[in-house]
Amino acid sequence: MTKHAPDHSSTPSVLHQTVRAGALPAPGVPTPRPFPYADSPPFPATIGPQPAGMPLHACMGLNSCQGSDRFGTRGRPDTGQPNACAGQGYCATATDHTCHVQNHCRNQGGCGLYGTAEEMDNPGNNACQSLGSCATPINAERFSTNGPNQGKSVWARARAVFEHGVWPELRQELLSGQTVSAAQPLPETLGLPPAPFAQTGPTYLWISDDNGARDNMTACGASGLSGAGGCS
Amino acid sequence: MAGAAHRALPAQHDPATRLTPAERKFVAWLNAHKTRDQVLAELEANLQVAVEVELATIPIYLFTYYSIQRDAASGEAIDPVQAFANKAGGVIMSVAVEEMLHMSLSANVMYAMGWAPQIYGKAPAAYPTPLPSHNPVGPRGPNGETAELIPLSRLTFEQLWHFLQIEYPEPLDAPPQDRDWQTIGQLYSYVRCLLRTDWLSDADFQRGAAAAAIQPYNYSPNNVDTLYPTGKFDPWKPAPPAPRPGWSDSYPSAAAAADYTNRADSHAGASQLLCISTREDALLAIDTICDQGEGYPVPNLGAGADDDPSKREQSHYVKFLKLQAQFAAYGATTETLADEPSPPPPQLPAIMQDQLDQAQLVIAFPDNPTTDSYPPELQPIARFCSACFQYMLILTETVYRVPPAGQKLFFNEGLHRSMIWVLDKYIRTIREIPLGNGQFMAPVFENLDLGERKDSFAGLTRFGVEAVNAAQALANTVPPNSSMATIYGDVAYYAALATGTPAGLAPGKRPLVDVRPYWSE
Repeated sequence: MTKHAPDHSSTPSVLHQTVRAGALPAPGVPTPRPFPYADSPPFPATIGPQPAGMPLHACMGLNSCQGSDRFGTRGRPDTGQPNACAGQGYCATATDHTCHVQNHCRNQGGCGLYGTAEEMDNPGNNACQSLGSCATPINAERFSTNGPNQGKSVWARARAVFEHGVWPELRQELLSGQTVSAAQPLPETLGLPPAPFAQTGPTYLWISDDNGARDNMTACGASGLSGAGGCS
Repeated sequence: MAGAAHRALPAQHDPATRLTPAERKFVAWLNAHKTRDQVLAELEANLQVAVEVELATIPIYLFTYYSIQRDAASGEAIDPVQAFANKAGGVIMSVAVEEMLHMSLSANVMYAMGWAPQIYGKAPAAYPTPLPSHNPVGPRGPNGETAELIPLSRLTFEQLWHFLQIEYPEPLDAPPQDRDWQTIGQLYSYVRCLLRTDWLSDADFQRGAAAAAIQPYNYSPNNVDTLYPTGKFDPWKPAPPAPRPGWSDSYPSAAAAADYTNRADSHAGASQLLCISTREDALLAIDTICDQGEGYPVPNLGAGADDDPSKREQSHYVKFLKLQAQFAAYGATTETLADEPSPPPPQLPAIMQDQLDQAQLVIAFPDNPTTDSYPPELQPIARFCSACFQYMLILTETVYRVPPAGQKLFFNEGLHRSMIWVLDKYIRTIREIPLGNGQFMAPVFENLDLGERKDSFAGLTRFGVEAVNAAQALANTVPPNSSMATIYGDVAYYAALATGTPAGLAPGKRPLVDVRPYWSE
């Protein structure tokens, strides 16, 4: 049997292929200048070590505790500092997935590409495995295709749902549980997401390292409107 | 849609469509000349025909859909030809999604009346195909032909004519027809009349529990594939309500450029995907089917161009006709179009087939391919396409057997994954395989025998393993790091992903759900 070399664990190569011949300009060129995220740490392609016993999450600013984000407890590579508290983290810690119903666990679904109006109104707020909606991380360009949030940012909706629905409930669970370290801050009010992304969530320009690493994430769909590569 | 009616004032939802004079006359005849048993028998038979008609359209639309390269250019580089191709893809997918809804609605009516809809093995046997019970002669097409035979074919002006044959609106006050029907609306008109007879009561629609029917929460009118960009867009611009970006503000964001082909209000009744427990529910389900396909009826005129109170969603017929009207060939066509809704003027910018072909935005698929028409080494790969399609039909039948509390999870892990994550990606992969004659491999949707339903996952697995073996054998014939090696590797990956067999080829991924527990009574 031939061993299939490419890593298919999250982004099969077919998602990036096209049978179209002929010269096309490189996608995304020209990129915005100046690069808006020069002062931010590069997007971490791999997920760092996480605080024990804390829930995973679907995207930036949806973390529940200190040190819970893509950099993990090791912190940002440039400062060595982990994020300080809930709501301030850089990006998803849930296993990256590219499509609807591929989430592994509660609150780990992205949203916006496929799914019902109700699902799209509750990104990052799914009950369990396979009941989540769409790819993580939730790139800033992604918008809901159904429901009351149609045409609007999925990430902004996810942040609002987290702030007003998921976090208060999760915080109570964590406070009443036995597994959380006493040093772990669990503030009633969430911290702000990292500054350049506070109002948008993680942009694909940042995730793709200024258009240099487009494979850092893939979102499904053939219309080219997912904002993070697509499967043509 | 069958006959004239009036658009109700805004309310909770539209009432069931009023009967036309022809329908009222026919209902009176049925009441006088048919027994209850005869009415029930005719309903069962015609609803099954309706299910098969809706099912037949799905491979036809999907085949053409997958011939289109929708996003070969990034948002900032979209030219008019790419924009048209992307729009065509979005429109065709929007109709295909509603055909799946229509099949589910007809199946839900059957189920409510105590009959199990038959879907597995009920797709067209060969192409070009007539639709079940369709009149073999219809309006004249662009090449002078009148045969109602629908091929599997790539996106062309002629193929869009065949789509129009499927969705052709019925004339004002047309007679209900159960065989040799001229339009789908007339077939449903016949069903509507049977439903309206004095022989039936609401109790007849409570023989299958509404809670076990395919539930409204499984349907969404739009997804990222039913949308299309109206023109160039800035792929880097965040979705609203993000603040204006710091860079040059040239094109709109993807969100601002998106056009939605389907609308949430394009239905009769409380939801798009109705569960049935009364006669009124059944009539509303049929109204949704007819309105979406052929347009909301305009009093004393006939079919309208739209199907929703907000008038933002066009009927299938108008969607396809407006696509066809953007082909340069439309201006000189001699095809026979319906009087109502009136044909649109040529749409601009005009697109030539050559432009689509030369840019490879429409892939050179063979017409009406079968597994046997492919070279022997590719046949197992083609066969798995049919296997996956058939398993999806079994999954659909199985939904009615799943305890209601588990339906959402079953639907997600079965139908959604099989559609979006297995079959969609599998077809996108095999269409990269050149056939050596300038054409590329296209999907097939044959009535492949997966065995008894309870054994069908094993059947799917068997065909999957054969596809994996074939793909890996082909991979060994090309340079290890070549693009073709990657393509064959992807074929093997998706075939293995569906069933988890051979183990290790799709690590960490959950296979489709095995239906055996639901059929082992």
